[in-house]
Amino acid sequence: MLRKLVVGTLLVSSMAYAASEVNIYSHRHYDADQQLFTLFEAQTGIKVNVVKAKASELLNRLEKEGAKSPADLFITADVARLHLAKERGLLQKVDSQYLNDIIPPKLRDRDDYWFALTTRARVIVYNKDKVRASELSTYEDMVNPKWEGRLLVRTGSNIYNTSFIASMIASQGREAAKTWAAGVVNNLARTPKGGDTDQIRAVAAGAGDIAFVNTYYVGRLLNSKKDADVMVGEQVGVFFPNQGAFDRGAHVNISGIGLTKSSSKNRANAIKLMEFLVSPEAQAIFSEANSEYPVNQSVKPSKTLQSWGAFKVDQTPLYRFGVHNADAMKIVNEVNWK
Amino acid sequence: MKLTGSNVSWIGSTTGLTLVVTLPILLIVLYAVGADGKILAHIKETVLLDYITNTALLLFVVSILTLIFGVSSAFLVTFYEFRFRKIFAIGLILPFAVPSYILGFIYSDLFGFFGHVHIFLMSLGIKSYFDIFSFYTASIVLALAFYPYIYLIVRASFLKNAGSLINSALSLGMSKERALFKVVLPLSRVAIFAGLALVMMEVISDYGVVSHYGIKTLTNAIFSTWFNMGDAGSAAYISSIAMAFVLSILLIEKFSQGRAKYSTESSSAPLEKIKLRGVKLFFAYFFLSIPVFFGFILPLIWIIVFTFAYGGDTIDMEFLSAVTNSFIVASLASIAIIVIAVLIAYTYRLIPNMYTKYVTKFATLGYSMPGAVIGIGIIILFGDFDNYLIDNHGFGELLLSGTLFALVFGYIVRFLAVGLNSVSSSFEKLGINVNRASRSLGSPPLKTLFRVELPLLRNSLIIAYLLVFIDIVKELPLTLILRPFNYETLATKTYGLAVIELIQESAVYALCIILLCLVSILFSLKAYR
Repeated sequence: MLRKLVVGTLLVSSMAYAASEVNIYSHRHYDADQQLFTLFEAQTGIKVNVVKAKASELLNRLEKEGAKSPADLFITADVARLHLAKERGLLQKVDSQYLNDIIPPKLRDRDDYWFALTTRARVIVYNKDKVRASELSTYEDMVNPKWEGRLLVRTGSNIYNTSFIASMIASQGREAAKTWAAGVVNNLARTPKGGDTDQIRAVAAGAGDIAFVNTYYVGRLLNSKKDADVMVGEQVGVFFPNQGAFDRGAHVNISGIGLTKSSSKNRANAIKLMEFLVSPEAQAIFSEANSEYPVNQSVKPSKTLQSWGAFKVDQTPLYRFGVHNADAMKIVNEVNWK
Repeated sequence: MKLTGSNVSWIGSTTGLTLVVTLPILLIVLYAVGADGKILAHIKETVLLDYITNTALLLFVVSILTLIFGVSSAFLVTFYEFRFRKIFAIGLILPFAVPSYILGFIYSDLFGFFGHVHIFLMSLGIKSYFDIFSFYTASIVLALAFYPYIYLIVRASFLKNAGSLINSALSLGMSKERALFKVVLPLSRVAIFAGLALVMMEVISDYGVVSHYGIKTLTNAIFSTWFNMGDAGSAAYISSIAMAFVLSILLIEKFSQGRAKYSTESSSAPLEKIKLRGVKLFFAYFFLSIPVFFGFILPLIWIIVFTFAYGGDTIDMEFLSAVTNSFIVASLASIAIIVIAVLIAYTYRLIPNMYTKYVTKFATLGYSMPGAVIGIGIIILFGDFDNYLIDNHGFGELLLSGTLFALVFGYIVRFLAVGLNSVSSSFEKLGINVNRASRSLGSPPLKTLFRVELPLLRNSLIIAYLLVFIDIVKELPLTLILRPFNYETLATKTYGLAVIELIQESAVYALCIILLCLVSILFSLKAYR
């Protein structure tokens, strides 16, 4: 019985290596991704296998499976996890002229261990009936007492928020970052709950006046098939902070990809998929279907994204969000950002 | 009891199995020893107290609500007679078929900002609206999802014991209603606490609802410490606080039993129900309708409406494979759980001493742990095991990691408690005399089990199987983290769509989960008769 079980399990696991294929651990659940993988399969004949779960859990799985992990690629919706994966020795260097040509240095690892696929800006959205864009200016101004009881944001421990705080630690120092976080907590209209979309809905409904969210959530609402979603999207304005001539620019995070240390047999396939995902064709799909900014400069952002205009981007290298992430989480706890 | 060779092999295999299924949990606890002192101190200084208070508060409110829903509804449908009573008696179980996280998603979609109700009110020109995301709505959602545990257990106890208790009370000159309140209800506290303990364990391990509704419980703290600060040790430390909660709940449950044993082995005396009329009847209907309507009918209407709206787009090969995957993996794991449960419970039956008693309790630890924590425990265990084989025994690939076996094992660790509790209690109900008689006639223990006892317990085993099956079909976090490549179940598909805000598109998957669970519930009701 036991032998049968062992042999059976072996058969099942070896089946995953049979054909020409590539194995992905991905945090992203989006339709756009499935669409892209299907397209890649059709073009190359390489089968794409995916496990979708939270990045942090997949990271643990990758680490414990070790050198023989079947995963070839690790996809996250945030740079900090990629940085962590690199730090823990779970990724390997990729030498691809194509990737290096397309992706700006700021949006990839210094040693080419991970690469951005798309970017999203963390911005302020405001209720058009209650706030004028001229009242908004910088992230620092979000903690101005004039916003007391008017600000909405999701839980502090969410990676988008800790990565933002980490970026502030990187550019302004820990004290400034902590003061800012404490100010955010002070100005909250309600204890944080729900995701970014829930904050946008609450602003549109008037439960708060401004919210701190990622751009693509607004884009998804505006392009939704549901009337109620479009209504929400149209009720709010998008504001890119810190655009002044001497200011650092808006905070941008990435969705990115890394080649796992364990990838060997499917290595070539994996790199082929990485290159495909930043090709003009794929980048257009990311942008159109999911309202993310393309990393490939030859691809125009979707109409929705274009309607918000171009903006100045914070030039802090992204890996530093990863470096300071654990400390950012500490700040969240210290200021009791729930 | 002397130790014979046969006893040693029963105790040995039970101990071995218990060790294997608790290994992932023990590993996590061991990690607590390696906690980073600085991070732990930081957690203690900042948020720990808050998380503990929130957890305690949530436990308290959900307990009160589930007690109100569960005990009084069981009381009404058991001791009173009114029209549609039988329909209510079954209807009250049905919320059990709806996973708590799906209930949570449905309520935020229905009542949230720009949800259906809000849009409707806006069309009437009503501007002000309330915020669905609150501590109390989360408590209500959890209570609606979990009260059936109390309802089922308490009602079974009423049916079994109340008849003879009432007869005794009547013969002592008590009125019937007085007997119900003064005798039956207090003496049912064992059953009430048993149900409440299950509810509380579910609340402690819940992640979906509390994270969606923004309540920072210990489960939340485990994840933010582990994944944001990268300290598995401190996360394990917080897990052990959660376990301490569970242990104290179990102690309270034990305490409630006291020394007395109220259940009689003889079957219950017939019950004559009290007729409800007038205002009382009206209130009874109103009261019983609340949990059935909000826990089952309303979510079902939502699901059916959106299955019709989007189902056509969603029903494809992927859908069919999710249905078969859910069914097959839940069946496999449930069978495994029942086999292990029978072995462990039978060992305690043959050799009822302190050791076997504690081993039996120990085997149920997994039920109180959040699914994702168990998932990580299994990844650690199998990862280390596989890499040991690779390093020392020339294996070329990972053997167990990332296989369906890992997932099934995860379910066993998490849900063995459910199977074991029902198998143990059905053995108890059968009484030990059957076993003794058979063995005194010369049948060895194993033959007695297969030839005499299991056939007698057939229906109870079917019920135990179905209970476990329902839990596994509904399970989410463990499935997400342990599943093999390209493997989708109904639960992972529902979640995958809901998490990208396609909540309504996920309705058809939710409907299938509920249908699978409903069919199981109806079958188990049939087996119960």
